[in-house]
Amino acid sequence: MSSRSFHSLFMVASCAGAALGCYLVSLRVASERAALEDVETRIVLAQRDMRLLQTEIGTRGRLSQLERWNAGAFALSAPTADQFLKGGFELARLAQPERKVNFQAPVVLASAPAPANRPVIGEPETDDSGASAAVAPNALLHEASLKIETREVPVRSVVAVPQTTAKSTDKPAIAAKPATIKSVAKPGLAAAQPAATKPAPKAASGGPKATPKKSVDKPVGTAAKAVTKPAWIAKADPLAPLPAKHPGHSKDFASAR
Amino acid sequence: MNAPSPALVAQRPERLRLVGQRRQLLAIMHQRLMFGMLVYAGIIAIIALRILYLAAFGDHAGRKAGLTALIPERGDIVDRNGDPLARTIDAWTIAVHPTKVIGDKLALAQHLARLMPEMSEEQYFALLKSGKPFFYLRRRASPTLVEAVNALGEPGLAIEREPDRLYPQTTLAAHVLGYTDIDGHGVAGMERAFDQYLSDPATRGEPLTLSIDSRVQQALEHELLDAMNKFSAIGAAGVVMDVHTGEVLAMTSLPEINPNVPGAATPDARFNRATQGVYELGSTFKPFTVAMAMDSGTIKSFGQQYNCPHVLPAYGHLVHDTHPFGRICTVAEIMEESSNIGTAQIADQLGTQRQKYWLGKMGFLGSVPIELKERGRALTPGSRWGPFETMTVGYGQGIAVAPLQLAMGYATLFNGGVYHPPTLLKIRQGHPLPRGKRVFSEDTSYRMRALLRLVVMKGTGRKADAPGYRVGGKTGTAQKVINGAYSKTINITSFAGVFPMDDPRYVIVAMLDAPKATKDTYGFTTAGWNVAPVVSGTISRIAPMLGVQPDMNREPDMSQVMPFVHDTKE
Repeated sequence: MSSRSFHSLFMVASCAGAALGCYLVSLRVASERAALEDVETRIVLAQRDMRLLQTEIGTRGRLSQLERWNAGAFALSAPTADQFLKGGFELARLAQPERKVNFQAPVVLASAPAPANRPVIGEPETDDSGASAAVAPNALLHEASLKIETREVPVRSVVAVPQTTAKSTDKPAIAAKPATIKSVAKPGLAAAQPAATKPAPKAASGGPKATPKKSVDKPVGTAAKAVTKPAWIAKADPLAPLPAKHPGHSKDFASAR
Repeated sequence: MNAPSPALVAQRPERLRLVGQRRQLLAIMHQRLMFGMLVYAGIIAIIALRILYLAAFGDHAGRKAGLTALIPERGDIVDRNGDPLARTIDAWTIAVHPTKVIGDKLALAQHLARLMPEMSEEQYFALLKSGKPFFYLRRRASPTLVEAVNALGEPGLAIEREPDRLYPQTTLAAHVLGYTDIDGHGVAGMERAFDQYLSDPATRGEPLTLSIDSRVQQALEHELLDAMNKFSAIGAAGVVMDVHTGEVLAMTSLPEINPNVPGAATPDARFNRATQGVYELGSTFKPFTVAMAMDSGTIKSFGQQYNCPHVLPAYGHLVHDTHPFGRICTVAEIMEESSNIGTAQIADQLGTQRQKYWLGKMGFLGSVPIELKERGRALTPGSRWGPFETMTVGYGQGIAVAPLQLAMGYATLFNGGVYHPPTLLKIRQGHPLPRGKRVFSEDTSYRMRALLRLVVMKGTGRKADAPGYRVGGKTGTAQKVINGAYSKTINITSFAGVFPMDDPRYVIVAMLDAPKATKDTYGFTTAGWNVAPVVSGTISRIAPMLGVQPDMNREPDMSQVMPFVHDTKE
């Protein structure tokens, strides 16, 4: 059969194919729409659930219940008129001006005199000044009062009582390193050396005279150490009381001052 | 087709005939084929078109009916801020079809009695044996109970979900909301008044927005309930209203009811004292009398003087005062000390006609203008309204109005003198503010502010003051009518207040029905002792919520009244 005889058949087939295609398209559209509606339905169901839950929360937290809780536990009350502020200025007025802590001022000032003294002490013994620096600041205030009293008395007493031995006089210069009892006697050294374990026993042995001298030394040598050191100094004196040397000793003090 | 070509050789006639027949046959066949094809093509075309049509416009197999939008069975009721006050939710219902029970009925009755002890085992058994087709066992059942009942596995038990009206705030604003019957139709309150709106599928999707503010409502209810319990009152009512729009922000009637179980309420509790009950509210009426007199020109100044003896004989009766002046007193003093004798003379000057005219304009002579169906009607002297009645009405006796009407009157008096009917629906796009009608002049309205502020600052209403909120108002103590006679001991106390007085925004009315004296009140049962503190407490709670800024330095123009007050007591 010729192609001409199949012509109509082709036409029918293509028509049917087109119709089928159209149908498939519409089917596709319909299924998409069904899926969309599915989603919409789920949204509505979710909204319904939300509504239910909101209702439940609202019922459990109803105002009368809150009122009961407030009466029983929170005891909150309405704000009074003076708790309302009209603006930022009124709010600012409520705040007390904040006290600023000046970390530098008081402490530094108290210790300020000490550094001035130290360098003097430091001259003979640099080591001592360095070591004592840490200890000094704490005791500064106490010493200030002690110094004035002791100084006046000691200067004279030292002159009056020539107790220091020759050894003691030598030590001032050398004193720093040899931590012997005698060296301890020296004001500057005594202050510098924290390792003086003997002070107590020696103090006992040392005569009453020694203490005044030592006390005199201390103010000059170590302002900060004064409180702790009196005992050590007391021992040093009895070991080397030499009148001759004293003058030199006193000179040191003077220079220290 | 293969049509025979013209023969060059003459064919035999029989053959020629055959050819002719065949050609004819073929033609017929062609015609028939073509016809059949057209028929098929037509059918296919129709089907295709139908498919196309359905695809474009029609329903399809996958489409589900309904549930395309969330429309409740009955519309929600929400407050002015959108908080739900009434909702319809799907609640579990447990029912039984006794005829369909296939298990052991005795065992089933035992189980039911264990799970739902409201009926005994015998009653359940009798029920199951009764042969009735259907019986509700529990409506609004809890999920745990439903689970337990379901676990019994009895096919005769029906567990279903059905719409149920729920009031999440329970007793809050119960008299405003009302409640529904078992079929979900409103039988009281707004449920009844707007039943059509709430049940119509076209409108119920949109919630009914009330003017009620639930926080204000809660504060008012709580303070009133406290006072009611403290003073052993038999009832109480309260209204908070916006003076400029007439919107009712809170309205309560006590004792309260729970609309979730309306059946449990007593008839007394169901009675809405704020709109249905009419009471002689006493001295709270006096400001109206003064305002009327000012508007009509009989009072020109608060310094105008009246003779206030201890007892005023008038038209064959005697008018008494609780705190008689016994001297000449000014209008300011009359109001400050709530003098009946003074007010009676003002009312007498005013005259019956003008009093009626104004009361009518204020809406005090008819039924309570509110959406609720539960509304009372003011009681007036009616045909006996003579000069003496004018006097008594002037100080609030002989006329009985609902507390809501009183609030409405104060709103009118202090919003600049314009009457707006009270409404329980929020004023908004779909419900615009109706045009008001002028009752008092603006000047009168303005000058009355100072007078009522005076009452709270120095007069009988001192306990109603909330510091900073410039409360103004008037106390009212009326003897209760019992068996047709005024009781000497039982009062109805009320307070009508307005705040802030320098620019009135809200009116509050509180009323206690038959309060008893307590140690704190030194034996008094007058309004200044029991109901004024309610107003103070409520205002200090609600004013911040309503956006009223407290200010200790603001006051209305007190120079209007202060020169006319002579403090003889101090």
